[in-house]
Amino acid sequence: MPEFDLDSFKKTWQEQPVVPKYDNDEILQMLNKKSRNYVKYILWISIIEFVLFTAFGLFYIIQNKESNTFITSLQKLGVEKNEQLVGIFDNIYLVIKILTLFVTGYFVAKFYENYRKIKVEEDLKEFISRIIRFKKTVNAFILINILIVVVFTSALTIFGMYAIHNQNTALADSSMIAFTVSFIISTVLCVLLIWLYYRLVYGILIKRLDKNLNQLKEIDSQED
Amino acid sequence: MISKEKEFAQLIKDNQGLIIKVSRLYTNSLEDEEDLFQEIVLQLWRSYDSFKGNSKISTWMYRVALNTAITLFRKKSKSLPTNELDINHRDFIEDDDDKQQQISLLYTVIKTLPNVERAIVMMYLDDLPYKDIAENLGITEVNARVKMNRLKKVLKEKMEKNA
Repeated sequence: MPEFDLDSFKKTWQEQPVVPKYDNDEILQMLNKKSRNYVKYILWISIIEFVLFTAFGLFYIIQNKESNTFITSLQKLGVEKNEQLVGIFDNIYLVIKILTLFVTGYFVAKFYENYRKIKVEEDLKEFISRIIRFKKTVNAFILINILIVVVFTSALTIFGMYAIHNQNTALADSSMIAFTVSFIISTVLCVLLIWLYYRLVYGILIKRLDKNLNQLKEIDSQED
Repeated sequence: MISKEKEFAQLIKDNQGLIIKVSRLYTNSLEDEEDLFQEIVLQLWRSYDSFKGNSKISTWMYRVALNTAITLFRKKSKSLPTNELDINHRDFIEDDDDKQQQISLLYTVIKTLPNVERAIVMMYLDDLPYKDIAENLGITEVNARVKMNRLKKVLKEKMEKNA
């Protein structure tokens, strides 16, 4: 091939015979087809996550069994059930309930607001940034939920320790260790599973967007 | 009175060359190309109301088509590795027309570039001013120009090497 010059090739490129593939009717038919795009995919995953995490939160709020189960466990360890104990436990529970509801409410509003801001006719950089911001809202929601789980479990553990200590309950070393270890293991497992999911699903989804955004940033940071 | 759908269909029909070119540059099979074409048309339809009168048809079409191809399209538009160039080029050798062969080779070469760079080259080849290229991508005009100058050298090298 003789020397290739892109500028001289412009005319050939623009005049390339592009055979029209579709007529008006075929284009109209396309409007009725379902879109299977990437943002929609992210949206559906996000909605499922919201529903699951909200259901998870509400489940803890609605069910009263939890307080009974936990206090029964403490009773098995030799702690005596009294009004003060139940009162403190109910207060911890109430704070967590209000916190969960507040967090969910805030994030549902933020989630919807960020989704609505995604407009396909924006410039590429802004478009990708908005999708990432939208996804980050969901990520933050999940991270805060993990934090709530950790705070909740820690509060229960501390409360259990307090009850045992306060009533001078004589506890066998093995029971005390089992009590502490079971709480730590369940918390770590819960956080680990959510973290793993978070890394797998979002890692893959966000990676592609980040790659394109980085290409744009790289172009914008270059010097002549 | 002509309906909005019919008006839109006519607009797409008249400008389908642009969508076909984008679809071809961001896919590696005919099936994917058709899927991407349909997805672009759908996204154009969804943003049709916000476009009306707000910007030039070409600017709006490019933005939506490129955003869809680069970001929305569910199938990955992987860059072709350079060593696949020969194989792909061989597919076009049978073309009688020399110009058509060159165009086919250029498509293959552009496909070896990362997504954003493909977009810059395509808009440049279609004679969009640097101002529009920069605005469509959200980068500065100076940087679009610098990048394109570098890309010209890369493309020249690749085209001559694979001729």
